[in-house]
Amino acid sequence: MMSLFDAAWVIARRDFIATVYSRSFILFLLVPLVVFGAAFAAGTMAERNELSASQPVVAVIADSATVQALNAARQRLVDGMTERSFPKLQAVQPAENVAVQARRLLADEQGGYSAVFSGTLDQPTLTGPSKVEETVTRRLQLVVDMARRSAALERSGAAPPQVAIQRVVTQQAAGNLQMIRRTIAQTSQTLIFGVTVLLATLLLSNLAEEKSNKVIEVLAAAVPLDAVFLGKLVAMLGISLVGLSLWGGMLGLGYLFFQVLQNWVHLPDAGPAVGWPVFFLLVFLYYAANYMLLGALFLGIGGQASNIREIQTLSMPVTMLQVFVFLLAMSVVGDEGGAMYWTAYILPFSSPLSMVAHAAISPSLWPHLLALAWQVLWIVIVIRASSRLFRATVLKSGPGGAFFSLGTLFRAKAE
Amino acid sequence: MTGVLAIEAKGLFKAFDGKPAVRGIDLAVPEGSIYGILGPNGAGKTTTLRMLLGIIDPDEGRRTLLGHERPLEAAKIVGYLPEERGLYPAMHTRDAIAFMGALRGLPLEVGRKRAEILLRENGLADYVEKPIKSLSKGMAQTIQLFGTIVHKPRLVVLDEPFSGLDAINQGRLEHLIREEAASGTTVIFSTHVISHAERLCERIAIIAGGQIRFEGLVAEARDRLRPQVRLRTRAADGAWRSALPAGASADNGYWEFELPRQGVEPLLRALIDGGAGIEELSIERPGLHDAFVTIAGEAAAREMEQSQGGLGVAA
Repeated sequence: MMSLFDAAWVIARRDFIATVYSRSFILFLLVPLVVFGAAFAAGTMAERNELSASQPVVAVIADSATVQALNAARQRLVDGMTERSFPKLQAVQPAENVAVQARRLLADEQGGYSAVFSGTLDQPTLTGPSKVEETVTRRLQLVVDMARRSAALERSGAAPPQVAIQRVVTQQAAGNLQMIRRTIAQTSQTLIFGVTVLLATLLLSNLAEEKSNKVIEVLAAAVPLDAVFLGKLVAMLGISLVGLSLWGGMLGLGYLFFQVLQNWVHLPDAGPAVGWPVFFLLVFLYYAANYMLLGALFLGIGGQASNIREIQTLSMPVTMLQVFVFLLAMSVVGDEGGAMYWTAYILPFSSPLSMVAHAAISPSLWPHLLALAWQVLWIVIVIRASSRLFRATVLKSGPGGAFFSLGTLFRAKAE
Repeated sequence: MTGVLAIEAKGLFKAFDGKPAVRGIDLAVPEGSIYGILGPNGAGKTTTLRMLLGIIDPDEGRRTLLGHERPLEAAKIVGYLPEERGLYPAMHTRDAIAFMGALRGLPLEVGRKRAEILLRENGLADYVEKPIKSLSKGMAQTIQLFGTIVHKPRLVVLDEPFSGLDAINQGRLEHLIREEAASGTTVIFSTHVISHAERLCERIAIIAGGQIRFEGLVAEARDRLRPQVRLRTRAADGAWRSALPAGASADNGYWEFELPRQGVEPLLRALIDGGAGIEELSIERPGLHDAFVTIAGEAAAREMEQSQGGLGVAA
């Protein structure tokens, strides 16, 4: 008998070649581009809509001096914050009856006013519906206060000249470093999660081909089912790495292109706690572990499905499981204890995502050795359980044999 | 029976959802022989073969395959053609054959070369680069058979190998089976067509209702029935009538009966001495089909005939 790994290699090689040389693989490669493109377009449109829709406009019925003072005060505040932090001010010439004019302005749909400011800086009035009034009142209060203080200081002649803050640049600040590391941690988690989600459906339907073509009988008679499962997982891992290399390569080239344009190419000074090279290695290892763990589970679940409809039905709970695991791992980034923290690190399916974040935040390396060993153990358990389930339910065989038999892993008996 | 056994099974038992499919099967397949398993649909033939190969485990009993108690340990020297043919449609014929060899430990490059030789020797050189999906069912089956033997196994297990093949391909398959056996390979197959078993096999097992009803040489199965005598005489009556056995029946002027155990000579003497005036006398040795009917029962034979759509037989 071939060793488990030799047999898995035969399966993996076939699956890898069959997939990579298929037309559908090109579509698979295009998926992230389409997803990110759509997300970018949607984001841009949403931002534009939000800018125009969510910023309230306040009509200012006041004399020109008041309008000028309010605009100047608002501008100073906007300079320190953002344009969207304060309502837009639009000057309107006062009519004879300001109260009537305010109501008319608020009723005018084309004007689109959220509230109407009237009176003077010393006796300001804001007219508008209660829903927007509270937010607008608080923000406008700041503008009015700023305008009044500026006017008072100018009147007293005690207005101090503006001074510029002198900057002393240091290598790093602890708070800043922590923030960057958390960002690196969560970005890595999101990246691993995103790619695994992309592959979930492929994994679910992976055994369907063998079942529908009846090849499974040929495979099951020649090699251990564990080898079939392992081979399929390795093939899919290889396929995903081809995809990742391509997407990563394109992303890297794009990054370099823009950085070269700016004549500045280097990784940020504030990197992950374990350093960039080790971090990249750990990201790869945890990606592989995360993929193999979830993959073995999905392959096992998908092996039970006998048609596309059943596979589609299984997709939703499987995606929900992935989202749950992702959220659990995300929620403990930066934590240092507690039930959630330990659950996220010990639960095999969330362990890779949690540990990749750990690599970004903590410099100690030994927990990674422990975690990787733990994850490999669970990969073996899940593959074994999946193949036994497949044997028992699909091939309608008995459980057969010990759950663990290290002999089958390495046996290569000459006949 | 003497000699080395390629397959030995004792008391194989398997139930699906509590319903027994195979009930205590014993098998002994000598190495180097061609062995047939016959039986109607649902008799338990495929389940038996799958248990022998380790695709499923028996609930009870044990089996050895070329001396290995765990069938997968013998995978490198066993070839298997399942009842439901399984090939990847997008694969080219040469690669499909080589892949099946690789599953049994044959290096891929060697497998490709052997696949080309097999295709060429069987007049299929034009099909080397053809994808499986472009082949006819019979052709795809032939390709899978090549995949079953490409690694030169010591034991080949074929489940219903003749099903779905036209007469030409059936002949080709018979030829291949004989070639394999001639090179010392043990071939065990189940078949829908008793005539194939009759032509090819030295030994057979007849399975019905999940049990072995007969196991032994084809000749032994036939010998379960006495040769049939068909006799036409000039005399309608006389002393010769006492030479006829009790079960003799008359039909259309002919007497039909089993040849008495004493043999043909005493019968002839008694007929001649008794003044029968023999016009016609023929002695027919029963075929495997008749033996099957006797062994497995009328119902099983009818079922096989129906599933085959004609004479003979479904395994």
